[in-house]
Amino acid sequence: MGSQVAPALGRDVEGAAPSVIIKTEDLWKTYDMGAIQVNALCGVSFQIERGEYVAIMGPSGSGKSTLMNLIGCLDTPTRGEYWLNGRRVSELTDDELAYIRNKEIGFVFQTFNLLSRATALHNVELPLIYNGTPAAERRARAEEALRTVELGDRMEHKPNELSGGQRQRVAIARALVNRPSIILADEPTGNLDTATGDEIMALFDRLNASGNTIVLVTHEHDIAARARRIIHIRDGKVARDEKTGR
Amino acid sequence: MTAREAFWIAIEALRAHKLRSFLTLLGVVIATTTLIVVMSVINGMNLYIATHIANLGANVFILDQFNWATSDEEWLKERRRNKPIKLEDYSFLKENLRGYKNIGATAWFRNSFAVRYEGRAMYDVQIRGETPSMIDMEQEQVGTGRYFSQAEYEHSAPVCFIGRDLVDEFFPNVDPLGKVIEVDGLPFRIVGVAQKIGKTLGQSQDDFAQIPLTTLQKFYSARPRLQVHVQAGNAGQMLELEDQVRALMRARHHISYQQTDDFGINASQTIMGLWERLTGSLFAITIGILAVFMVVGGIVIMNIMLASVTERTHEIGIRKSLGARRRDILMQFVIESGVMAGAGGVIGVALALIIAKLVDMVFTASVPLNAVLAGLMLSTGVGLFFGIYPANRASKLDPIEALRTEA
Repeated sequence: MGSQVAPALGRDVEGAAPSVIIKTEDLWKTYDMGAIQVNALCGVSFQIERGEYVAIMGPSGSGKSTLMNLIGCLDTPTRGEYWLNGRRVSELTDDELAYIRNKEIGFVFQTFNLLSRATALHNVELPLIYNGTPAAERRARAEEALRTVELGDRMEHKPNELSGGQRQRVAIARALVNRPSIILADEPTGNLDTATGDEIMALFDRLNASGNTIVLVTHEHDIAARARRIIHIRDGKVARDEKTGR
Repeated sequence: MTAREAFWIAIEALRAHKLRSFLTLLGVVIATTTLIVVMSVINGMNLYIATHIANLGANVFILDQFNWATSDEEWLKERRRNKPIKLEDYSFLKENLRGYKNIGATAWFRNSFAVRYEGRAMYDVQIRGETPSMIDMEQEQVGTGRYFSQAEYEHSAPVCFIGRDLVDEFFPNVDPLGKVIEVDGLPFRIVGVAQKIGKTLGQSQDDFAQIPLTTLQKFYSARPRLQVHVQAGNAGQMLELEDQVRALMRARHHISYQQTDDFGINASQTIMGLWERLTGSLFAITIGILAVFMVVGGIVIMNIMLASVTERTHEIGIRKSLGARRRDILMQFVIESGVMAGAGGVIGVALALIIAKLVDMVFTASVPLNAVLAGLMLSTGVGLFFGIYPANRASKLDPIEALRTEA
């Protein structure tokens, strides 16, 4: 099992201009709870363009986590279409989704989700391991990503030897390392104090300024306000889509 | 992900849970150790039998009162029926047999006589009466001096050819040649000393004194029971000579054609054949027991791997979110299971080598390379096989559910 071979992906780009990174069309997600069926998403449609900095905001239970799982290709919609970077990904198999997650998406989670027994460097290398990048190149790229988040001097440290902010920066380096189409951050400051949270948000600002597309999922208004556009989700629908003027 | 990555992940996981891994592996370790030790002991015994017991000399077969390799029933029958081989039989064969290279006779018994020299005594020495031709057929070789001669044989001379043990006991710093030792009160002059043979199954093979068969007959036993040794010129002539001996002996003993022989013809192959049947069944039983061991060991590994998958659900979720496919996760856990069991195999091999060494000190054991390879392959194979089910479970975890699980 050497390098990962690209699965046959739908290159169906109808209705998506090249600059559009994410396009959803009438996304539905229905959970079958036995007797009743719960609609977590009821027809969500929006577009996000390359280089945008978007916050998806909503209270808990609004469906924003479900939406994030769909955008992050961790899950498939019950109904509707989803194009990511020109590829129709709403009807892919598990392994094809794994490939997309590896290549197109960089996750940043609230709880960091680092491997506790691995060093910062190894954590950042992980996505590269799964696409068969040769060891030497892997290391070089992981080091570069860690330097981007100013952790060049903490590479051999394990997560429990790092502060919360540093851990989140390792996670961001991991998200960056594969040069994904989007960085998908789920409450990235939720487990951090305000000052550290501000540092992380400043890092996102910088990453966006250097051309990365960032999608931020949050329920906090101040955090969402750092983005340049906010998509409000309520009861599984897009309630409001506004520019922040930043 | 390559197998090498998976290998390092597996090593890391093993290091993180040393005690648990070790306890898990106990079954596999014991099974591997047992396999190798048993194979080593059998192998050691085979080597021993081949070089020390079934070593009748090149192309030699032995006419004896009994068949050596036989069933218990046959043995009881033979004991009732078979007649001892007498000196007359030997003379008869010597005159009538055609095409042999050597023929000799030996009468041997472990008597209770003491062998003495200058006030020192040795008991339990094997006293053997032999014909001079025996030196060319037996494993004893002349070290110093000579074997007794045809003339000494014909005159029932009181001379002897002794083993190293007697030299070590009586003549530690003296040349034994020409010295006179007492065997049951009778003086024997030493004409030669044999080369050291060593021990067979812990018993010294150097504690003998050989005297001419005629001398034995004259002083100790008027009608000794013999073994007649016949040497063929080459392996191809063995069967033909055996047939000749059989026909001559049957004629001499007046055995009708439907009756079985009342004597035994024994060759190295007969002994080895019996021995290998014996060790073969021992080996088969061992394999059976080991199979049970390995399956139990494998189930324990499967159990701990299932626990490990549950414990590491969050890690699996992280890996999946970063692009690990089902087969990446599958491979990671199968290899981890294989590496774990393989490590058990390595421990088992190490233990087996130590145990085999200890066994070899008191008994005999020789570790065959194929036993080591079999042990390693079997243990790793068990790990890989029993890792498939847990690994498959891990690979099928839903990434969202897995990520949501608390680390």
